[in-house]
Amino acid sequence: MRKLIIDTDPGVDDAMMILAALRAPELDVIGLTTVFGNCPVEIGTQNALRLLELEGHGDIPVSKGCSKALVVPLGEFPANVHGDDGLGNASFEAPKGKPLARHAAQFIIDTCKAFPGEVTLAPIGPLSNIGLALQLCPELPKYVREVVIMGGSCYAGGNISPVAEANIYHDPHAADMVFRADWPVVMVGLDVTQQIVMDNSFLNKLYAAQTPATDFLKRIQPLYQAFHANIYGFTAGEIHTHDPSVTAYLVKPDLFGTLETPVHVETNGRCMGFTIADPLKQWGERRAAKVCTRVNAEGVKNLLYDLLAR
Amino acid sequence: MRKFWIDTDTASDDAVAILMALQAPDVEVLGISVVAGNVPVDMGCQNAGYTVEVCEKNVPVYRGTALPLSREPSYAYFFHGPDGMGGMNYPATKTPIQTGGVEAMVNAIRKNPGEITLVTLGPLTNIANALALAPDIAKKVKICYLMAGAACTVGNVTPAAEYNVWFDPEAAYAVYHSGMKMVQVGWELCRGEANISDSEQADLRAIGTRRAKFAIDCNRQAVATNKKWLGDPSLPLPDPVTMAIALDPGIARRQGDYYVDIAYGQANTDGMTIVDERNVLQKPKTVTVVWEIDVPAWKRMLRESLL
Repeated sequence: MRKLIIDTDPGVDDAMMILAALRAPELDVIGLTTVFGNCPVEIGTQNALRLLELEGHGDIPVSKGCSKALVVPLGEFPANVHGDDGLGNASFEAPKGKPLARHAAQFIIDTCKAFPGEVTLAPIGPLSNIGLALQLCPELPKYVREVVIMGGSCYAGGNISPVAEANIYHDPHAADMVFRADWPVVMVGLDVTQQIVMDNSFLNKLYAAQTPATDFLKRIQPLYQAFHANIYGFTAGEIHTHDPSVTAYLVKPDLFGTLETPVHVETNGRCMGFTIADPLKQWGERRAAKVCTRVNAEGVKNLLYDLLAR
Repeated sequence: MRKFWIDTDTASDDAVAILMALQAPDVEVLGISVVAGNVPVDMGCQNAGYTVEVCEKNVPVYRGTALPLSREPSYAYFFHGPDGMGGMNYPATKTPIQTGGVEAMVNAIRKNPGEITLVTLGPLTNIANALALAPDIAKKVKICYLMAGAACTVGNVTPAAEYNVWFDPEAAYAVYHSGMKMVQVGWELCRGEANISDSEQADLRAIGTRRAKFAIDCNRQAVATNKKWLGDPSLPLPDPVTMAIALDPGIARRQGDYYVDIAYGQANTDGMTIVDERNVLQKPKTVTVVWEIDVPAWKRMLRESLL
């Protein structure tokens, strides 16, 4: 089993990622760390606790992290995508548990040091906590097995600007720290996540399973679907499969094809948040990341179905 | 006793500033956190630790952040010497160097809400990281004196930028926009008459204490470089001037509150402190900018710390 810390801003698609990860026998989720992004970090922390309790994992620790980016100012939260509560305005009851007193960045450092070489980080929100952990502990990379992020877009255009994906855009400086550090990074970005489309027929089949996870997902999905319909003109309830693709990669990396290339992040101006692949190393030496560029979309959806419906 | 925390990239002028705080009779320095800047962070720890030793004090020195947020470090050996201390090659410090400078600063501020005067003598990386780790400290610091920037004037490392801000402009941006109560002491206040002339240096060194010799000797490379490079008279001491104002705010003879922004990611203006002196942006005022200092008072304070 792969020890996993999910760093998350839950978030409608975060919820599906986390629920699938908690149900995957290959993965041992040893902590959730929260960050601002889809909603304020206080709300996201409540959602993280709620998701764990839903699956009977109230024992897994939650650690609250950054409330804003390391450098750029806080913008508006995307309530039109994820709701004011981060969960599609589905009005859930308050969770029972509480987060740890420790900051997420410190939790990440302490946990990775406690299990040298064993822990995989799965950041699926802005990368502020990971960037701060690298600042506080520059030797962190040598303790970490792998970093599999949902974020970025090298060749597929952006979803928050013509070039930028939202997670990277919200903290471009932290993102560049992650791509600059000497550790194995896998980028699961829009290059693949926009190719994996769940429509009403897939979702209805999923909801028919009536597991606690699928019942929960059914409640939170409508606003997220409405956003996709609005912006992309979808007519059959289609949504892009962003964060859950990280779970799929962790369980079955063969579903993805990757390009090994250094990645740089633009931190300024109107291209802020652009993840730029530099396979020829024209911008200098930097450890290559595995950028997912191809995907077996049906395979990812089948895998997620199997995890969530069982 | 007033409580101080010093954040520093300890090279020669930092050492004098630390010395002044340690010698101030009504000030307790709770800790010194070191950051990369003039010299690499470990060298800065050695220099800070040795300064504490020269003052025969027992103040904890913490290693802080080793790299700027987004850039490669660009050290200032040319100005401060290969050891940051004028090539004096002082012996290895006996002061224990602790890790976790950012965390220690956060803990001290949280334990003493509203009480700590924070004095920053280097790049603002540690402070930016502390604010990311604990945004609440912005309102728990009593006041922060920054040796930083160049208010409406030329820089000293590029035409636009002062060294501490230029070294990590992203961190400076985060700090300047944090809502902390801040006083900016720019390098322009530490030129000309504020400099310590050759004869003043001789007078100070003649005081003959270990501290007096140390303060002058460790700055010998700075004197040589300053004359050649900037064409300014003799020894500039930006960090000690900042400390003097923190110790006695009356040394700031003229100051005002302004919205101050930091340029980054723009190549030739990176690290510029943009002071909205005429309030053309109509934004909330964020920083107190010092325009003029009482030069004789600053020099008196320096002298007293060396007696």
